[in-house]
Amino acid sequence: MIDFKDVSKHYDNHTALRKITISVSKGEMVFITGPSGSGKTTLLKLIYLSEKLDEGHITVSERELENLKDSEIPLLRRNIGVVFQDFKLLNNRNVFENIALALRIRGEDDRELKSRVFDALKIVNLRHKADSYPQALSGGEQQRVAIARAIVTEPPIILADEPTGNVDPDTAAGIIKTFKDINARGSTILIASHNRELFRNTGRRVFKLENGNLAGEELG
Amino acid sequence: MSLPYSFKLAVSSMLHEKWINMLSVLTIAAGLLFTAIIAVTIYNVDMLTKKLPDRFSVMVFLKENLPQEELNNIIAIVKKDNSVENVRYIPKDDALKELKATLKNTEYVLEGLGENPLPDSIEIKLKSDAVSPDTVKQLTTVMKDLKGIDEIEYGEKFLSSIYSLRLGVKTAGFVFAAIMISGMIFVCYSTIKLLFYRKVQEIETYKLLGATKGFIRAPFIIEGAAMGLAGGILSLVGILLLYYSVILKLSLTIPLLKALFFPINLSFILPLTGLFLGILGAHIAIGRIRY
Repeated sequence: MIDFKDVSKHYDNHTALRKITISVSKGEMVFITGPSGSGKTTLLKLIYLSEKLDEGHITVSERELENLKDSEIPLLRRNIGVVFQDFKLLNNRNVFENIALALRIRGEDDRELKSRVFDALKIVNLRHKADSYPQALSGGEQQRVAIARAIVTEPPIILADEPTGNVDPDTAAGIIKTFKDINARGSTILIASHNRELFRNTGRRVFKLENGNLAGEELG
Repeated sequence: MSLPYSFKLAVSSMLHEKWINMLSVLTIAAGLLFTAIIAVTIYNVDMLTKKLPDRFSVMVFLKENLPQEELNNIIAIVKKDNSVENVRYIPKDDALKELKATLKNTEYVLEGLGENPLPDSIEIKLKSDAVSPDTVKQLTTVMKDLKGIDEIEYGEKFLSSIYSLRLGVKTAGFVFAAIMISGMIFVCYSTIKLLFYRKVQEIETYKLLGATKGFIRAPFIIEGAAMGLAGGILSLVGILLLYYSVILKLSLTIPLLKALFFPINLSFILPLTGLFLGILGAHIAIGRIRY
């Protein structure tokens, strides 16, 4: 489903990722861990083409990203649900509209849209906050709205960048359970987190990054 | 791309940014109003000068006792010219009759003349589209060399001044209109650019969620179009008010203004021009979207 082969990414004065080779199969749920600045976010950004790779090859859902035309990028992104580290919620729209946006971009009609948004809100346990605006929510609630927006389109791939960064351990456990449930329905999930507690005893593969290098792979 | 949603976003933006939008609409309306005034002026000058060819003729006065053969030769040469519509020979007796008919009640001025002082003449009517100082000059130059012609008269100075006026008004009008139109495109451009910059974060999120360029562009194009259309309609209201409440009232005291026509086509040209300028300005403002 997702294949990295000798992938490198350089910025002006440093290398964010160096010769990374990893493979994630369809329906898998894997974790990427490492300290801040190890390259976790860059790795995810390369998958949804927010950043372009400098060397190597990346294949996502049989699409070779280095050969992807500009017009194909929206189609790639519609197959990927992303939980951004900074959430990227729109403050001038309420929770319902923030989640619905992902469906509107895909041209979903209003009737279908309503039930799907409420289903997603139910999964993250925020149905009662549908009319609230992001500023009125706690960090954890905003994170759950971002998760709801990522899953509402039922994409084949979900990427989550520090999805439990702003929540207490109980909520974090709840979020991981949500991801497991979504994964059980067939979605391939990549979660980047520096929090080792998150994947302990999960039995899932964990890729460890250090200074842009793949330092190892273990089972959580 | 969901068009109803794009309309919703555009309307929401227009209401949210109502002051800047209103200011742009008023600026576009003022620009279009000035352009429309210029257009009406050009239209009227054009209408007046268009009627000129029907009344315009070249009078060729012939030498006395010209043999029929030479007269036929002159007429044949004149008729050959592509710019000539028809040629009429006026014997001097007919010319005197026409003069008497024109003078009617003041016929006494002709008393005591004795012999008919008028010469035989030829009246040349030109084709409507051929009446211009250049073609007339070309024709008269050819005729001047012909045997049997005494004098040619066609109001050279009058014709040249009318055509210079027409050309001057048209050129000045087009230059002014071009400046105003560029200004209006710039107003739409800068307004939409400003709104676009204000929404940069939002647009970034759209892109990351898989929005196409069309989805991103549509609300801005709709907003630009609405702005231009509103400006166009407002300028139409302005020019109608100006025409019916000012020009028509003033024409009671200044009869010359009665001759002014209002080109009815402006009723749809102005809103459509506004619409087009709004879309163009917005299109330039958004520029190329990169993922």
